Amino acid sequence: MMRGACAVAALALVAACAPTAAPPAAGTASAPVFARTPDGKPDLNGIWQALVPANYDLEPHEARPAPLDELGALGAEPPHLGVVEGGEIPYFAEARERQRRNYENRFELDPERKCFMPGVPRATYLPQPFQIFQSGDHVMIAYQFANAVRQIHMQDPGPAPTSFWMGWSVGRWEGDTLVVEVTKQKADTWLDRAGNFHSEELRVEERYTPMGPNHLLYEATLEDPKVFSRPWKISFPLYRRLEANVELLEFKCVPFSEEILYGHLRKGYRGREAE
Amino acid sequence: MRRGRAVMKTLVLPSVGVCCGALVSGLGHAQAPPEVFDPAYSPPRLPSGKPDLQGLWSNALVTPLERPADLADKAFLTEDEAREYQAKRVEALNRDSRPDDPEADILLAYNDFWWDSGTQGVRTLRTSLIVDPPDGRIPELTETAKARLAATPRPSADGPETQGLSTRCIYYATAGPPMLPGSYNNHYQIVQTDDHVLIVNEMVHETRIVPLDGRPFPPETIRQWRGSSRGHWEGDTLVIETRNRRADTPLRGSSENMRLTERFTRVADDVLLYEFTVDDAQAFTRPWTVEITSLRVEDGLMYEYACHEGNKSMYGILGGARAAEREAAQWE
Repeated sequence: MMRGACAVAALALVAACAPTAAPPAAGTASAPVFARTPDGKPDLNGIWQALVPANYDLEPHEARPAPLDELGALGAEPPHLGVVEGGEIPYFAEARERQRRNYENRFELDPERKCFMPGVPRATYLPQPFQIFQSGDHVMIAYQFANAVRQIHMQDPGPAPTSFWMGWSVGRWEGDTLVVEVTKQKADTWLDRAGNFHSEELRVEERYTPMGPNHLLYEATLEDPKVFSRPWKISFPLYRRLEANVELLEFKCVPFSEEILYGHLRKGYRGREAE
Repeated sequence: MRRGRAVMKTLVLPSVGVCCGALVSGLGHAQAPPEVFDPAYSPPRLPSGKPDLQGLWSNALVTPLERPADLADKAFLTEDEAREYQAKRVEALNRDSRPDDPEADILLAYNDFWWDSGTQGVRTLRTSLIVDPPDGRIPELTETAKARLAATPRPSADGPETQGLSTRCIYYATAGPPMLPGSYNNHYQIVQTDDHVLIVNEMVHETRIVPLDGRPFPPETIRQWRGSSRGHWEGDTLVIETRNRRADTPLRGSSENMRLTERFTRVADDVLLYEFTVDDAQAFTRPWTVEITSLRVEDGLMYEYACHEGNKSMYGILGGARAAEREAAQWE
């Protein structure tokens, strides 16, 4: 069965695909091959991870030093051409100013450092694996980082009663793509370590599309009328972790964050200068 | 609200008595387990043929873990006794009452909107969750375990590390494993695939991922707060074994050698029978077994419990201790 975006388009609008070299005949081997669940949907079950270093900065960036000098090259940030369609995030001018201030103070302010749940889409491109559980309408995604987890409601659960660190996710299938609308996220999460941010009005549309047995195309469109002048999109592949012994392990990072959160309240604390 | 940002306040499930009609005749010899569940019950099944355990379940039960002393000779209640006992427990646990003593009143700052201890006992009408040993009590600790307990320092407000794990939002004994009824956040949600089971606890959004593919346990050097779990099916029962816990998440005095075996069996549309056995010869003089009837939650959703993100308690406890020290120093 042909399910590729181009192939589907070809059926409806032949001209759209005509310029590509040697268009394959319908039903040939070019259609992505992947497993399906008993209900005929793509089987997204498994452990996935992004390789793209988007967690450092969604936008194009050169290599740069660690946010803390003592870390040396250990904490230096690798370069990347970015994952934002069109290159730059379309901030309102004041919002771009705030992002710059966030960047200047990122070592103090980044919620990842405090072990707070990362929100969406950042959870997807943190440098840690996550696992999709899909069984009919029961769909959940468990992330190794901070054992964050969210349910993808495949039947409309109605309006969210409050906001959540991992948001409120409502899913549906569009052909072979799992589409997830994420709303009601807390304004406290960031989009990366570079201080890219959003407000509580953020709406994210995620799309998970199989590219083959071991790859998913991940796309996310972000909309936030308080922060961005228009919707913008990121996309990159997700890779299936194929090691025979791979499993999500505990990354309970609370103990790793307690010194920076509560250290100043420790008995005998005399201030950082005195140390 | 207490530490968390979002709370699941559950639906109060109506007390259902359909299962228990046969118990009245068991009055005179109440020590024999009553036939509570229909042995001919066949659970709904997944396309794989395995029983469908998916969805939301609640352990909000008022039955105590250990049998109370005044019921020492009584393993089961009658239906009437159970109703009376449950009403008494609900009354005793009601935090909406306002005592005259201000200090006692402040201790009730979390009112019944917050707490969620449930209104029912276990469907089996047992007087304790522990079914073995037959006295319904945790077996005596070994000398080694007693010595270890005695040497364990009490939580102090000297710094974050010396606070309890639940205050720090790291580990709650009610989320376990094993799971136990607690005074709030008693829900858990199951998703099953052909080769994995996911159990998400409302408490601290704990996620437990259980491979069913027969893979070995990780090496014993890899210790986790909640251990490592491996599962398999025995007929229609999901069996999960857990090992390799850290030494600092003990269960009632258990050691890091604890081996836990949990069994999940759907025995009615609305009941998941959840049994577990604690096997830890270093800590307990014999294994012990618990039986819980988790109740189906049909019309509810589980919400995120962001314990660490909203943890104001740590600032209050540590900051309060430092303020007390400063005040004491003024008078020295």
